[in-house]
Amino acid sequence: MSTTRAAPPSPRSAPERGTGGSGADERRLTWRNRLYRFDMRYMPYLMIAPFFLLFAVFGLFPLLFNGVVSLRNYELDDPTLPYWAGFDNFARLAGDEDFWNALYNTFGIFLLSSLPQLLLALVLASLLNRRLRAQTWWRVGILLPYVTPIVASTMVFSVFFSRDFGMANWLLGPFGGGDAPIDWRADKLHSWIAVATMVNWKWIGYNALLYLAAMQSIPRDVYEAAAIDGAGPWKQLWRITVPMIQPVVVFTVVLSTIGGLQLFTEPMLFDLNAQAATGGPNGEWQTIAQLIYKVGWKDLNLGYAAAMSWALFLIILVVAGINTWLTSRLSGGRK
Amino acid sequence: MRRSWSHWARAVAVGAVGLTMVAACSGRSTTGGDDAGSGTVTLKINFWGDFGLQDLKTKYEAEHPNVKIQLNSGEYNAQHEDLQKKLVAGSGAADIAAIDEGYAVQFRGQSDKFVNLLDKGAGSLESKYLPWKWKQTLSADGKTQIGLGTDVGGLAMCYRTDLFAAAGLPTDRDQVSALWPTWDKFIEVGQQYTGKTKKKFIDSGTNLFNPILGQQQVGFYTEQEQLQMDGGPKVAFDYTVKALQADISAKLVSFQADWDKGFTSGAFAVLACPAWMLGHIKETAPGTEGKWDIAAVPGGGGNWGGSFLTIPKQSKNVDEAYKLLEWLVQPEQQIEIFKKVGNLPSQPALYADPAIAEFKNPFFNDAPVGQIFPKMAQGLTPQYQGKKNGPTRVNVENVIRRVENGTLKPDAAWAEAVKEAEKASKS
Repeated sequence: MSTTRAAPPSPRSAPERGTGGSGADERRLTWRNRLYRFDMRYMPYLMIAPFFLLFAVFGLFPLLFNGVVSLRNYELDDPTLPYWAGFDNFARLAGDEDFWNALYNTFGIFLLSSLPQLLLALVLASLLNRRLRAQTWWRVGILLPYVTPIVASTMVFSVFFSRDFGMANWLLGPFGGGDAPIDWRADKLHSWIAVATMVNWKWIGYNALLYLAAMQSIPRDVYEAAAIDGAGPWKQLWRITVPMIQPVVVFTVVLSTIGGLQLFTEPMLFDLNAQAATGGPNGEWQTIAQLIYKVGWKDLNLGYAAAMSWALFLIILVVAGINTWLTSRLSGGRK
Repeated sequence: MRRSWSHWARAVAVGAVGLTMVAACSGRSTTGGDDAGSGTVTLKINFWGDFGLQDLKTKYEAEHPNVKIQLNSGEYNAQHEDLQKKLVAGSGAADIAAIDEGYAVQFRGQSDKFVNLLDKGAGSLESKYLPWKWKQTLSADGKTQIGLGTDVGGLAMCYRTDLFAAAGLPTDRDQVSALWPTWDKFIEVGQQYTGKTKKKFIDSGTNLFNPILGQQQVGFYTEQEQLQMDGGPKVAFDYTVKALQADISAKLVSFQADWDKGFTSGAFAVLACPAWMLGHIKETAPGTEGKWDIAAVPGGGGNWGGSFLTIPKQSKNVDEAYKLLEWLVQPEQQIEIFKKVGNLPSQPALYADPAIAEFKNPFFNDAPVGQIFPKMAQGLTPQYQGKKNGPTRVNVENVIRRVENGTLKPDAAWAEAVKEAEKASKS
């Protein structure tokens, strides 16, 4: 019954009314009919409504309200300012070197994390797609970092990358670092690598599992044919696997773009003086999300922070769009 | 037809569950403060760590059967941020909210969101307090007092007697205090120490900068809210850079893993320490018992940290909350708290009380902490804290950290500090 589309009501109800015996029965039938129609027509909407309601309350409303606040003077420690600021907050963004520095950092860390992350995930997935001993163990194992609470893992990494007693320096010791230990928090490159490592560690397994799921739907005979034609595993990966799981690749690229540009917890807790939210003494690894938090809750300028949030929203839209386009061009295969 | 009914029922069930979830998420908790019907009021107190209130709560509730007190301890930063968010939201704050010195300026700037305690008669308590403590939560125009002080940190110099002895320095606390009447002398002692032992003397540059700045007549901002870097900040900054150039700093960041390890490993030999730091040292490095002692801080006085109790205007029981607040800051209760958790009261008259004056700390070689810290707290001159004091301090501290980690040349540091401070003043 649920598979039939809602039929035009009149021809159906007419014969029923004809065959019906008493008036009461007739009414029951039409009531039932109405229910049936309601079920068919509106039930799907009702059932997806909770998501949209939640989205409206926790997604759309904050977004719009943020837009309103971004046009206001909303400084908690200075209530004397005029209510509306117009586009002053946005104009200020253009000349704010902190903002551009944070944007630069965000993209730097994004590149250092997303690219290796997705490539390694791809390689890992194709390895896991072969016949292995203890297959399930491996597959669940790579998901473990994803399950680890982000704060806990970041705390551990923070100690791992510490200057004086850190494991990272200890491991690098034999490779000529000897004379002076690396201060991972002193310059952009080292701090970016440290933060990107945390991101990669967490998300490689998750992406690999998504790729693996997609790979399992690729028919075996394609690979067999390719093997007969002399294509090695590497060529098979790039010429067959990647084009055939392209939708999933696009999905992970969009997801990691959004996640990468909103990076907050890792850079926040990597800082020894985390409460300042400056991402290093000279903002070496301060991301946009961190700067928004600092401007809003440390400098108490909510209007300006809202303007930054909106700018970030627009930037994510543009970058995700570009990445989608690029990925589908690069991994398309068929033109 | 039966199938359609069960299908329908299932759909309704799913929809209902979905809607309930929405309702549950958007539902506001309606736990108000006043149980008007029964005549009892519930007062919620938000604070961090241990304020030593547990026994006082029992006592107060016994004396006031109509009052129930709810103690809510949380993490230091989280409590302050929570209070700030509730103030913006307009509801949900506690009836009595503790704030720390470090956040006093931020909340003082929003004095319209707090009950003016002067309206409640707190003005009569002013003479009992250390003048600078009273001023810290007083609004810029002096007409609104948002909080009453509980404890102060004071500031002294904790030092490792074993490390001092190894470096050939005196270990007796009076002799050590005599070593460094000024910060210049302090840095000289540091150079001696480092020269002899090849180990670092102080923990960090910022923990030198802040106490020195606190001793100046004028801090970052004048009372007219003008940033004035050439006065106090310059003095403090120059000493700090001098110390960094003398290479006596272990370049650590307070309350971080490496810093905590430094207590046991002897990464530094002295540490500017307020009264509440003693507990931290004891907890972090229990193995160093008896190896610490406490001397005076160079330059005469100082303070680091200390709390206030405020009443947010959104409280539904302002009168009852004030009654409790006034009771809590009375001498008997403040002495109770000192005995319980060691928080030093901010009312100088209490320093003569035997419970405080005769108190010695066994972990620190029986140092008479009940004498040392009050003296330091009283030696401090009140300093005006500008509205942007917090962000300015953070930016200048960051410049010091850049000099420490070698990414900024010492001779370019002051210009950079001025630039960063100006940026913060306009933030």
